[in-house]
Amino acid sequence: MARTLWSGSLSFGLVNVPVQLVTANRDLDYHFRQIHEKDQVPIEQRRYCSAEDVEVTWEEVAHAHDLDGKQVVVTDEELASVQPRKTRTIDIEAFVDLADVDPLYFDHAYWLVPAGESEGTLRAYRLLVEAMGKTDRAALGRFVMRTKEYLALVRVRDGALALTTMRFADEVRPTKAVPSGGKKPTKKQVDSAVAVIEELSTEWDPERYDDCYRARLKKVIDAKRKRRKIEVPEPRKQPSPAEDLMEALERTLEEVRSR
Amino acid sequence: MAARSIWNGTVTFGLVNVPVKLFTATDNKSVSFSEVHARDGAKIEHRRICPKEEKEVPYDEVVKGYEVSDGKFIVLEKDEVKAAAGDRGKVVALEEFVDAAAVDPVYFDRSYYVGAGDDKDAYALLHEALRKSGRAGIGRFTFHDREYLVALRAHGDVMALHTLRFADEVVGGDELEIGKGGRKPSSQEVDMAGKLVDSLHEDFDPEAYEDTYREAVLDLIKRKGKGEEIDLAEQEEPEHGDDLAAALEASLGAGR
Repeated sequence: MARTLWSGSLSFGLVNVPVQLVTANRDLDYHFRQIHEKDQVPIEQRRYCSAEDVEVTWEEVAHAHDLDGKQVVVTDEELASVQPRKTRTIDIEAFVDLADVDPLYFDHAYWLVPAGESEGTLRAYRLLVEAMGKTDRAALGRFVMRTKEYLALVRVRDGALALTTMRFADEVRPTKAVPSGGKKPTKKQVDSAVAVIEELSTEWDPERYDDCYRARLKKVIDAKRKRRKIEVPEPRKQPSPAEDLMEALERTLEEVRSR
Repeated sequence: MAARSIWNGTVTFGLVNVPVKLFTATDNKSVSFSEVHARDGAKIEHRRICPKEEKEVPYDEVVKGYEVSDGKFIVLEKDEVKAAAGDRGKVVALEEFVDAAAVDPVYFDRSYYVGAGDDKDAYALLHEALRKSGRAGIGRFTFHDREYLVALRAHGDVMALHTLRFADEVVGGDELEIGKGGRKPSSQEVDMAGKLVDSLHEDFDPEAYEDTYREAVLDLIKRKGKGEEIDLAEQEEPEHGDDLAAALEASLGAGR
C-alpha cells in the first residue's frame, strides 16, 4: 500500500481516531531525466554559492525568506515552534454540504485510513464512516503537514474516509478581472444550446476517458527506441466564430439528433 | 484592470465556436523560502553539471532522456516530445456533457478561469447554457505540449476550466488496507455521532478559514528579522479516548 505521508488523529468532539494519510493519486506519468546531448550522460543539479562560486553541500544550505529586501534565515526548529500545538490532529471544526464547496477550492486528494488494527480505532473509524455516509456532509478541519497548514475536507467515499486539501479563500482569485460575455442571449438561443447540451449529456464515468497523451508519449518513446522517425503533427487550424450563432446552433442540434 | 491571459484558443460545441482566454484562478500563498549559503548568506544557484566533463551545461545542450534500464536512456529531442501533444492545437472540443456536481472531488486537478475572447455573444450563450443546465462540458485541452482531460462549467459570470485526473490515476477505496476486526459501532453510537454531525453543520464559508500558520510563519520571520531570540516550544500529543459512547455523549453535551 501507499506510503504514509502523515499520521495523527482525526478529532471529532472528544472522539479521537488514530489515522494515517496516504495519497489518492497514482503517478503514471513518464518521467524524463535531463541528458547532456553531446555525451548522453544524465545531468546533475549541483548547488553553488553565488558569491564564492564554489559547490555547496546540502548541510551548508539554509532557508531564507525575503522580508522587504532583507534576507531572514529561519531554521526548521524555529518553523516547528510556530506550528499549532495540536499539530498531530485534524480537528473537525464544522460539517458542510459537499455540494456547497466550489471545486476551485479542491487541491490534493488523499485517503485517511485507520492507524493500526486495534478494536477501538477500527470502531471509531467505522463510526465516522457510518455517521457521515448517511448524509452528503463533509467535515472541515485543519492540520499541519511538513511546513504548511492545510484546510481539509473529509468525506466518505467507497466506504472509507477521503481527505481533500483545500485552498484558502485568498488563494482563489476573484473573477472581476476576467472578461465575461457580451449581450444576453435570446431565449431561443439558450433553449437550443441547452437542447444540444442535453442531447450530448451522459452520466459521469471516469473510466470512459483514456490518457491519450500518455499513450502517444509511449509510442514516441517506443518509436525512438526502434530508431524510427517521429512525425510531429501539424496543429489543426483555429476555427473562426460562426457568422450566425442561431444557424450554427440549429445545424448542430440537427446533427446531434440524427446520430 | 484586465488580467493577463495565459492561453488563447477556442471552445467548440457542435458547430458553435467560442473564442476564449484562459486566466490563472489560484495562487499558492504559502510563505516561500529560497536556499542560501549558511556561511555567507549568499544565494544558492542550481547549476546543470555534466559529471563526465565536470562542466556546466547550457540549456540548449539539454535533451530529455527516458530511462529504459539502469543508466540506459532513450533520448528525445524537444520537438519529438511535442509529437505526443497531438494535433489538437488551440481548440477545446466539448464532446459531451455531464452533471457538474457528479464529478467526484478526487478527479479535480488544476483550475483556471475562462474569459471571453473576440466573440463575446457566443461566450455569453455557452455560459448561460451551462449555468441553466447545471452541466459541465468534457473535452481535451492541450497546454504546454501536454494534453489534459478537462471539465468546463459556469462559475459566477465567467467559466471555470478544471483539468481532470484519469480513472487509473485515482486510488480506489478497495485498494486500501483497512482492518476488518472488531465489532461494528452500535446503532446508538451511530445515532449520537449523527447528532454531533448535525449540531456542527453550517454553510460553507471559505472566508471563515484563514491560514493561521502562514501568519505565524510571517510573524516568526519578522521577529527573527529584528534579531529576536526564538523560543523553541515543545509539542503536545492529544490523548485517544477509549470509551467511544462516553466520548460521544460528552461531545454532544459540550456542543449544547
